Amino acid sequence: MPFGPKSPLKALLLSAFLSTTALAASAQTVLRLDEVAVGELDPAKASDYADSILMFNAYDTLVLPAQGEPGHVPHLATEWTADGNVYTFTLRDDVKFHSGNPLTAEDVVFSIDRMKALGQGLSFLFEIVESAEAVDPRTVRVTLTEPYAPFIASLVRLPVVDKATVMANLGEGEGEMGDWGQGYLSANDAGSGAYIVQSHNPQEETVFAKNSDYFLGVPEAAPDEVRLRYGLEAATVRALLAQSEHDITSQWLPPEVLKSMSNDGAHFLQESGTGAFYIKMNTQKPPLDDVNCRLALASAFDYATAIAITQITPEVAGGVPSTGAIPVGMLGSKPRENGALARDMDAAREHLAQCQYNPADYTIELSWVAEVPVEERFALLMQQNFSELGFNTEIVRVPWVLFTEQVVSPETTPHISQIFANAVTGDPDTLLYPMYHSSVAGTWQSPEYLNDPEVDRLLDAGRTAATQEEREAAYLELNDRLMALAPTIYGFDRNSVFGASPRVHVSALEDPSKAFALDTMGFTFRLMEMTE
Amino acid sequence: MRNVLSQTLRRTGTSLLVLVGVSILIFAIARVIPGDPARVALGPNATAEQVASLREELRLDEPIVVQYLAYMRDLLRGDLGVSLYTNRPVAVDVAEFLPATLELILVAGVMMVGLGLPLGILAARHRGRWPDHLVRVVSLLGVSAPGFVWAVVLMLAFSYYLGWFPVAGRIDEQYDDLRHITGFLTADTAFQGNWAAFGSAWHHLVLPAFALALSGIGQAARLTRANMIETYERPYIEMAEAYGFPAGRIARRYAFKPSLIPSLTIIGLDFAAMLGNAFLVEAVFGWPGLSRYGVQVILRKDLNAIVGTVLIIAALFILVNIVVDLLTTLLNPRISHAPGGRA
Repeated sequence: MPFGPKSPLKALLLSAFLSTTALAASAQTVLRLDEVAVGELDPAKASDYADSILMFNAYDTLVLPAQGEPGHVPHLATEWTADGNVYTFTLRDDVKFHSGNPLTAEDVVFSIDRMKALGQGLSFLFEIVESAEAVDPRTVRVTLTEPYAPFIASLVRLPVVDKATVMANLGEGEGEMGDWGQGYLSANDAGSGAYIVQSHNPQEETVFAKNSDYFLGVPEAAPDEVRLRYGLEAATVRALLAQSEHDITSQWLPPEVLKSMSNDGAHFLQESGTGAFYIKMNTQKPPLDDVNCRLALASAFDYATAIAITQITPEVAGGVPSTGAIPVGMLGSKPRENGALARDMDAAREHLAQCQYNPADYTIELSWVAEVPVEERFALLMQQNFSELGFNTEIVRVPWVLFTEQVVSPETTPHISQIFANAVTGDPDTLLYPMYHSSVAGTWQSPEYLNDPEVDRLLDAGRTAATQEEREAAYLELNDRLMALAPTIYGFDRNSVFGASPRVHVSALEDPSKAFALDTMGFTFRLMEMTE
Repeated sequence: MRNVLSQTLRRTGTSLLVLVGVSILIFAIARVIPGDPARVALGPNATAEQVASLREELRLDEPIVVQYLAYMRDLLRGDLGVSLYTNRPVAVDVAEFLPATLELILVAGVMMVGLGLPLGILAARHRGRWPDHLVRVVSLLGVSAPGFVWAVVLMLAFSYYLGWFPVAGRIDEQYDDLRHITGFLTADTAFQGNWAAFGSAWHHLVLPAFALALSGIGQAARLTRANMIETYERPYIEMAEAYGFPAGRIARRYAFKPSLIPSLTIIGLDFAAMLGNAFLVEAVFGWPGLSRYGVQVILRKDLNAIVGTVLIIAALFILVNIVVDLLTTLLNPRISHAPGGRA
């Protein structure tokens, strides 16, 4: 390649130098983080972690979970009233979508209708909505089919979309609404959030820019640009972080990799209180149809070693001790001061003595989900623990898709299944009802096939109680009932750990007094602080 | 020339039949993989009603023959269906991800030929001496470790420790606004005269392409060496040496050309196999290519995307084989690929 005055090589070097200089001069702060592929940008289809990060930053909701305490605070809605099954919301008058259109009650109604019509993502939360109507431009009235106390909590999963923008971009489909804008919203945002989507490639990266017109303002220290990358390998993330080309890792890295990052100067962000690791026992299959056998296994399980398996550093682990059936911090949970669950072999033997079955006559299938390798270690731990009681065990590796098919009947459901589960709204109803109500047995969340009228009654009471105090009483009682029935071994409360570069500080994931009782909400970019 | 033309037409015809066979096979296999695609697509929180609704929408409850015929009808209109993984038309995904993989394997292929053949020639010319030993050791290393191992090793050495190359991606973030014409970033940047972006694209491409090519370089070097050593033992080479022809001329003109045909066949197969093997290299370097997409859609049982991706890869595989056959015919016109033909 020639190197004359107009040579491409000279131009290449010169423009590389100029672009570097320009970047330094502009001093834009860029936050880079990663998640598993893929990122679903359509908010009505959002269900997993990556989707939720996209949703919570590009869109707004009527309410937000309170920081550092239970309950919800106004967001797009300034206030609301509940009269039986009818909720009335008053909207802010200073909110504009990224298109420049002002937020109106019609947008909220449209968002509810769209979510119900598509029937994807977390739309099941809104099946209970009978109708939504715009009373006036600032007032929305929502009527439920039956009393549902956690409805306000569900609203954190109702992103409000710009109706006019979606209507202008309807694709082909059946009926007047065509595809309900699915094609458009899978690649573009129509929200009012603090960040605007600049580009979106569901397998590679989504790029956001700060929304300077955000109705709450976006602090100066918040990142100017955010790049959410998908599907990076652990080794790649580690190398990127070491090169200062990455800021926050996903929670799915092996503990060893996270530990090595901390040796390279990374610090940890943590999120807990919304879910747990559950060891689910099939209550319809001998010998686990006998509550005493289940209690024996629950007592024999080594809770401390299970947490040690997830240990990253002496101070940080992927789990924290469980106190009962409801994760600590959630409505109805028991405080950690009361003592955590611990192995008690004497109690285990006492329960086993009362069990009608001889453990040596049965082989217990210990299944683990193939896509979650750490579960194999828990299966091995159980094998060792339960053998001390005389149970024969067989460890079975099951791909997730097979597991979801196995659990549709109690006969094909393994004796023991392992799952990690979170409350999708932060409310115990969305965690416990799908697990234990007899009407919903036979899903990945409910392989216990528990059928207990008292549990059903308490779950229903949690849904219909008129006050927060009544709800708390119902869930406390439910907690005790579940511990007595032992359909599940409550392994540990989940503590999601993310590696982070020293450049970024996330108060919601570092300071418990500012934490949200909702998964992913800590990844609200406007609340993050970047340094050069 | 007529021989080449008729051979091309014949191969194209049989290739279409092969593609139809592949489509039937992959359509059936994708449906017998355990797991409900609708359940996988909608995620763990979906209700039974939502899953049933999507199954109906995807016609999954209809007989497989009906499903296949409907798929082929859409395919003939250029519609590969919608991916449940990305929620976009499969054709859009393929158009976006294929150029990234093609760019990667084309550069890897050039490296394979450009480094593998000269190394083989060097080793054969100096057989039994240190250049030969060195090439054999290097080739053995290349062949014995899979591409993804080299990807991690090269990334750790040249990106993590030395910082000479970027860790991931296809181009620096500052060139996000670059207009995509062909999808080949090295070509697009050159077309637009953006030489800084051109340099950045190559800077990102070199390491993953080299990791992908290493195994093929070793293979090509070993084969070329072995074939040339065999050729060196032929009487006409001894004759040339006796006439006092320069060693370089003997190697290039008399020893290398006859040795090239078997090497070319293997290189062609290695090159085509890269389409599938690129997956792990793409994963390590965060390269948004079709191979990575293909594996992800298989894991998620995304039926339309599986069939679409496999068909595209099969078509490319066939295309590479046709090109290799043509090249071998051009190198040695006595070779015929017709049924019952002879070399």
